[in-house]
Amino acid sequence: MSIRRLGILAAAALLAVAPSSFARIKMTALPKRERVEIQLDNGRYTLVEEERIVPLLASNNKRGNNRIDFSWSNTQIDKDSIQFRPLAIREGDTFRPLKEGEVTVINVAYPPNENALVWEVHSSKACALKARVSYLVSNLSRSFAYRALADKDETFLVLKKYLQLRNYSGEEFGEAGVWAGFGPKFTKQVDQQTDIKMLLERFAKVPIRKTYTFDWYAHGRLNNDKPFASRVLMHYRLRNDKRHGLGKFPLQPGKARIFIQDGRGGEAFLGEDWAKLTPIDGDMRLFLGDARDVVCTRKIKSNQRHAIRGNLFDQEIRITFECENFKDKEVTLDIIEQLNRLAQQYAAPAQGDVEWELGPETSEAIKVTYERGRAMPLLSIDLPARPTGKDAKVEKQTFVFHIVLKNLWK
Amino acid sequence: MIRTAILFTVLLGGLAHASNVDLVTLPNRDAVQLTIYNSEDLTLVKETRAVTLKRGINRLQFSWANTLIDPSSVEFRALRHADQIELADTVFPGQKRQHLTWNIVSEIEGEVPVEVSYFTSGLTWTMDYVALTNAGETDMDFTGHVRVFNQSGEEYENAQVRLIVGKINLVEKIAELARRQGIPPPQPGTVGFNQLKDRAGRRAFGKAESRSRDAAKSAKKIVKEGVSEYFMFSVEGEETIRNGWSKRMRALQSLKMQFRIVYRMRTHQYGPRPVRFFLWQNDEAHKLGDAPLPDGRVRVFRRNASDGMSFLGEQQIRYVPMQAPVEINLGTDDLVVYESRKTGSERFEFHFRVHNNREYVDGWNERTKWVDTIRNYRDKPITFELHRIWPGDVEYQSEVATKSFDYRTIETTFDVGARETFAYPCTVLTRHGRNQKQNRLRIR
Repeated sequence: MSIRRLGILAAAALLAVAPSSFARIKMTALPKRERVEIQLDNGRYTLVEEERIVPLLASNNKRGNNRIDFSWSNTQIDKDSIQFRPLAIREGDTFRPLKEGEVTVINVAYPPNENALVWEVHSSKACALKARVSYLVSNLSRSFAYRALADKDETFLVLKKYLQLRNYSGEEFGEAGVWAGFGPKFTKQVDQQTDIKMLLERFAKVPIRKTYTFDWYAHGRLNNDKPFASRVLMHYRLRNDKRHGLGKFPLQPGKARIFIQDGRGGEAFLGEDWAKLTPIDGDMRLFLGDARDVVCTRKIKSNQRHAIRGNLFDQEIRITFECENFKDKEVTLDIIEQLNRLAQQYAAPAQGDVEWELGPETSEAIKVTYERGRAMPLLSIDLPARPTGKDAKVEKQTFVFHIVLKNLWK
Repeated sequence: MIRTAILFTVLLGGLAHASNVDLVTLPNRDAVQLTIYNSEDLTLVKETRAVTLKRGINRLQFSWANTLIDPSSVEFRALRHADQIELADTVFPGQKRQHLTWNIVSEIEGEVPVEVSYFTSGLTWTMDYVALTNAGETDMDFTGHVRVFNQSGEEYENAQVRLIVGKINLVEKIAELARRQGIPPPQPGTVGFNQLKDRAGRRAFGKAESRSRDAAKSAKKIVKEGVSEYFMFSVEGEETIRNGWSKRMRALQSLKMQFRIVYRMRTHQYGPRPVRFFLWQNDEAHKLGDAPLPDGRVRVFRRNASDGMSFLGEQQIRYVPMQAPVEINLGTDDLVVYESRKTGSERFEFHFRVHNNREYVDGWNERTKWVDTIRNYRDKPITFELHRIWPGDVEYQSEVATKSFDYRTIETTFDVGARETFAYPCTVLTRHGRNQKQNRLRIR
């Protein structure tokens, strides 16, 4: 348990005669906190601001200035971050802003080997000063978590974003304002060794796109029984913009737990993923797991070298993808083909990014895009739903990706 | 004996500082639903209770001492008046281990059904299959069973059980999360951990108290439905699983199902001898196909003429989607033999490198002749599939229909009659050294 005091040396000593190494006598007036604000907008540091009413004596040559003592224990406060800011003085029942020269912080002294400091404050008259003390503190941290509930057709999410405050700082803050830098400001009882989970925002209908991705070079073969198949990964993809019901603020990193309506009024757990920081207008991808009803195998069907001159050559490669969709609805399969690694494996090092061109035998059904760069084309293929009926059978769909890797040598 | 593990307390009063318990109620659990995942040690427990709320701020206290519940997964949801009941926050006080408080703002007064859900570990389920062929190996009875495990040592009643087929993604293990807050439970693998798991299972099953027993004596149906990429098997009604037992229930059956037998020779995949496969489809034509087949062990038996059975083999199958093929590898068969013999070799088209006025061979072609032989000692015809890799710059020629499987592998399929031998020659031209211009196989 920490003991932290904001003490006022009521009978202030004359600075001029005060020895520099005197044994400090703390007369602790202990003005209570009037207000505490916990600012969590910086992900690495937490700023605590507290307001207190500090009684000050009028400074004069005989008494010197006011000395305000601030000390703490069992709490990791960054000593260099502590600030004392006079805000207002009491007049009657209210506070009014300070006039120039009424209260001035002269200096701050750091006694050796102590978690403490002393502000020397000049006051032109005796008054009750409203002051704000702010400091950075460790072990008072925040994190974010998401709960996503997909509709049965997986077209929308109800996305809830939670703020989790964790106070293991050693300090009891009592009733404090809590702000994450965006969203609502909360007032919470922040006790020592307490975790508090608060709902920051609820997004009622966030459109999502479900993607299926195959990347041979990222995942390799599936197993010994299926040496040409590889994993097909599923993601929910959502865009953090206003058009998609989001875009109020960046989506911070945090664990996302994903549920789905099961069609009977209940929910089933789909999986979880670490959501990455998603800026406004950025895309968030939530990994759901491996699709087992969408199967894709990849084979190098032909591999032909065309000599140009000396050891310079082109390599013509036909890759076939055999795809099966055992789902009862159509899906789009995105195949990532890493051409630099393909060149390295079947021809020669790419010497930077490989130069290549699409061959004429490439299947028309393949739509090629380059969102990951020219050397990593994305091949999108629409796969129809599995047929229905007694003798229905899922036919393997074969697609050819015909390319010529240009100007290689080794 | 059924015991309640979770203290459910309603505290009414101030939001932050209520230190006294004004009212303590232990509301009955109206229903418990267990959703058990087979890919992870994970069970989603949902319990429904009726809680009496006052208008204003209510504090609901929930504790789970000595369990493997993941604290971060515990959720509260009002099932009625959801727009009038708001969860203000969830507080995990550090001084009270394995304990949380919900601060709930209610605009209504009275009894409200609520749902409390959380993840726990300790319950498992598996799938297993039995295939029993007739003596002639032309059809089989194929049966699949789900088996829910509960080693609690006590008797449990009346939980709704749902089993999820599919591989979910977890970024942290539930048992690990359960240890993160509160008193650390014992480490996995220790006696204490196993006891705790057992107790978790016991408690999860023990949620539904004093419910009426099922009168039905017939086998329960397993209802199957798809949820996203996963499949859910729901055990009809509520289930009682007795002390120290696991319960095995029939989930699917196909009687007199037709299947094919194929021998595959793929040295690079299955080793140097042909292996025997039983093949069929998970579809309507095979009286299956209303659900995927979850991962599980298939044990294959054959009826023999003397009313007995022979054990043919077993294999762990991976998830089989609807309409996808099922392939059971029964291993090598001593009655089917494959041999590939080199019967001739010639070299030509030499290329020489000149060094110090002397010539050195640095390129040549080689033509090899082979005879592949398949001997079938079984008393019925077989289908034989051959995949063979020929690395390098190769031209392949054979008298049987052959096609390229990929850029370096040939593929051929043929039938061999009962107690017959089938042999065919093939010729392979390989370019070596400087003569090698390609890395691919061509079939002539």
